[in-house]
Amino acid sequence: MSEPDEFQPIPTLRISDDLTRAAGVLQDMQTQGEFSGDHVHLPNSPPMLFGAGGPMLKRFDESTFASRIGSQAATPPQSVKGIGGKVAKPDYSESKIVLAMVGLPARGKSYLSNKLMIYLKWLEYDVKVFNVGQLRRTRAKQKAQQYAPPYSPVGPTDPSLSSGIREDHTAQWFSHENATANQSRERLAQDSLEMLIQWLKEGGNVGIHDATNSTRSRRASIQERVSKEKGISLIFLESICDDPAIIAANVALKIRSGDPDYKDMKPEEAKRDFLRRIKEYEKVYETITEPHLSYLRIVNVGSEVTMSRINGYLSSRIAFYLMNLHLKPRSIYLSRHGESQFNVDGQIGGDSLLSPRGMQYSEALPALVTDNIGDANLTVWTSTLRRTIQTAQYLPYPKLTWKSLDELDAGVCDGMTYEEIEQAYPEDFANRDDDKFNYRYRGGESYRDVVVRLEPVIMELERQENILIIGHQAILRCLYAYFHDLPQADLPYIKIPLHTVIKLTPRAYGCDEER
Amino acid sequence: MVAPLYTTASGLLFHAGKILVVTIGLPARGKTHISRALERYLRWMGVKTQVVSLGDYRRKILGATKKVPPDYFTLGEKSTETQELRKKVSAGCEQLIWDFFEGGGQVVIYDANNGTKAARQALAEKFDKAGIHVVLLGESGSYVSVGEKIMLNNIQGYLQSRIVFFLMNIHNRFRTIYFARSGQSLIEHSYKADADLSPAGWEYAERLKEFVLDRRAKSLKERGLNPSKRKLVIWTSTHRRAHHTAWPFLATAQASNLAEGLPISSSPEPSSVLATAGQTMVSKISSPALNVKVVEKPQMLEINPGIWDGLSPDQAKKYYPEDWSRFLKDPYSFRAPRAESYHDLSVRLEPVLIELEKEQEDLLIIGHASVIRCMLAYLIGLPASEIPAIEIARGDLLEVVPASYGVHSQAFHFWDGPGRHGTVDSDPLAGKDDLNFYENYAEDTKGKRNVNTPEPSVIRD
Repeated sequence: MSEPDEFQPIPTLRISDDLTRAAGVLQDMQTQGEFSGDHVHLPNSPPMLFGAGGPMLKRFDESTFASRIGSQAATPPQSVKGIGGKVAKPDYSESKIVLAMVGLPARGKSYLSNKLMIYLKWLEYDVKVFNVGQLRRTRAKQKAQQYAPPYSPVGPTDPSLSSGIREDHTAQWFSHENATANQSRERLAQDSLEMLIQWLKEGGNVGIHDATNSTRSRRASIQERVSKEKGISLIFLESICDDPAIIAANVALKIRSGDPDYKDMKPEEAKRDFLRRIKEYEKVYETITEPHLSYLRIVNVGSEVTMSRINGYLSSRIAFYLMNLHLKPRSIYLSRHGESQFNVDGQIGGDSLLSPRGMQYSEALPALVTDNIGDANLTVWTSTLRRTIQTAQYLPYPKLTWKSLDELDAGVCDGMTYEEIEQAYPEDFANRDDDKFNYRYRGGESYRDVVVRLEPVIMELERQENILIIGHQAILRCLYAYFHDLPQADLPYIKIPLHTVIKLTPRAYGCDEER
Repeated sequence: MVAPLYTTASGLLFHAGKILVVTIGLPARGKTHISRALERYLRWMGVKTQVVSLGDYRRKILGATKKVPPDYFTLGEKSTETQELRKKVSAGCEQLIWDFFEGGGQVVIYDANNGTKAARQALAEKFDKAGIHVVLLGESGSYVSVGEKIMLNNIQGYLQSRIVFFLMNIHNRFRTIYFARSGQSLIEHSYKADADLSPAGWEYAERLKEFVLDRRAKSLKERGLNPSKRKLVIWTSTHRRAHHTAWPFLATAQASNLAEGLPISSSPEPSSVLATAGQTMVSKISSPALNVKVVEKPQMLEINPGIWDGLSPDQAKKYYPEDWSRFLKDPYSFRAPRAESYHDLSVRLEPVLIELEKEQEDLLIIGHASVIRCMLAYLIGLPASEIPAIEIARGDLLEVVPASYGVHSQAFHFWDGPGRHGTVDSDPLAGKDDLNFYENYAEDTKGKRNVNTPEPSVIRD
């Protein structure tokens, strides 16, 4: 641009800007001998000097052996080549925690441990829940099967026929006055703790001891046992709930969800027995006050938190996470941006605008959302890329842009089509298929990197109420995997179609989903 | 202002209301350290925060300790005059707290003994009535390190939970944090190329290793600490130029392990795997083995230049004139298309800062200039607007030692070579690759900006 022309209308100026820019870059590249000729998109493509789209990158890589000369390291690292590589899992080997739950039945212990497990697993910690109730049932079943006739025509699965020995696990068993059962329960808790410690030694990070642990003496014995292990720390997590509605809902859920303890009972009978079981626990229940223990006490999930002697990075993260949970009913809506010009052309990355079809979606979106949500409050989150902002433009709700919601950065492959990548770098392309979660584009990101970057977003999501996220495919895959507890290997293949709103409603166990 | 994504009309962040954090406990137990650290963190997040220190106030009003009546600090009966004096001092402090809240402040950290339960209760009630959430922050029993003794009463609300998260991670074990830039790479001006180190970069990496080990040995000796008991943790970004600069440390650690016939816990191949050497070191001889751990962190990548990747300042000016002028106007919050602003970078680095607080061992951060700028600004407590202008020259080692009132920082110059500064260099060949102007903004615009840049060689708090 030489002289500004004040009569020129703005749109024309914009285009000529782009042209001037592109032409200038080309000229510079030519004069510097960097211009390769092919794969230069005009006029909107930004100047791309080191993309994988041209021969530049390969030529550069071939010439870099010179960098070895200066290295005095005994084993110099391999020089960089191609468009990406695999990354390894972060080293969490030093984090080892026993998290022992404390609380009466139906107080949300399993909810909290489940939630926490999903969060930590999503962050790639190795987490396992050791449920004492489960162990009790497994043991009882084994015992019953031991006495079963070996070739029973009906098979041992039918409890009425399998054996005469069937342990009584009604409320009677949970009474602290029942000495035999007391002993037996004590042993179960110990065994389960031993299994947990063994598992931590074999490489686990966080073992959750899901039991009532309701007395001081029980907690003291856990503490004594764990203190014998070097490098393993212990935290108690007490869940208190005095909201009768929540307790009733939890009790109903316990019975309805087909708890094996109650499968042969009528619902009313089961409920009565379960409430009696709670009574038995209540008789001896002692809330945590031991000043020498590390503990977190959560009252009515999210309404009040007390903590004592929590230290260590992972412990503090656990505490921070639990402090941000709440049980208010809400929904999280996920939608990809409308179809973009790059989607139409099959190019990845970029910051293109919406296609005509994409524009239609952005126009249709407000009615769709408002029909579903009614008058409730909603906040819309978008990335900083134009296609998400454009998609959200007609939504009559407050909007926030998050840099951390930007699409996975394809580094040197940004702006290419998959066909082009496959053609230019067939081996690298195959590597990516081999382990998509761990594959990091050169100068860009892997899915693992995206998970790390999204952690603060998850924390914020947990604490918010109704949220609509207008995002990108890779980003929504990561978020979706968190809410549905999907394994890492499947994460990069989750189907998040264009022009679809996914509604997730968190429930006590998992999430409800509507599309 | 750094971390919040948005602000509210009242100027109070995170919809959290006003908070009074009251410290409890005897003197010399790290209350001041905790208070100052928390103030620095909250200010960095953009929360208007103020420490009100009873001790500082008393010294201001009454002068030095010798002018204070003899029974001022003793237990038991006090003379009427002394009681009056004590009352006057604490009333004055409380007034300071009210003034700060009335002036739009959000968090006050009241650094005082706040000794008796009755006095605390009265204080809490008074502020509670005014709608201010009171958080009691105390110690119980006789713990030694700060990290262990944090106890809080009922915590409610997001900002409160962040405060707790932060407090759970700070400690006052002596340690040193070193910062150095990564070595020069073959394509210095491209973010995406993720190129290898240049020959000068490898040489730099060797020199850095020698200098850091030397400097660290001296500082540990001064403190009478046993080097074999201390680990050196190195954080780098996931870019090759950064983690390759840590390579010589790993090579040395491996060699020293081999010399002692100890197994090597991890081999540094393939290149992008997190490498650990000598995690379980036993030292037998006088020259201690090096115990090093290298961690690559994706959050520590340099500021993303977006569409400006690979461009020289002249090219950026030429093809993106509008963006360029907006960038010059506000280099902290301007975000070029697809790029990150310094604000974005600071938000990205927040989890790393918590990890930085938590780390107990000596830490060497081999980083990119933009990342070091943000982290240093946090540690020293510089306003956000100054972040883009902090000069971080390649070849300088910054040494930061956390202390109770802040940090002591010092810079040591250990290397001169190609790529030391931005574009201007005595070696005409060397400057050619050094065009990453967005990353190296401060070096490129030396003296052109009207801000108070700290003295480049020695920064003291």
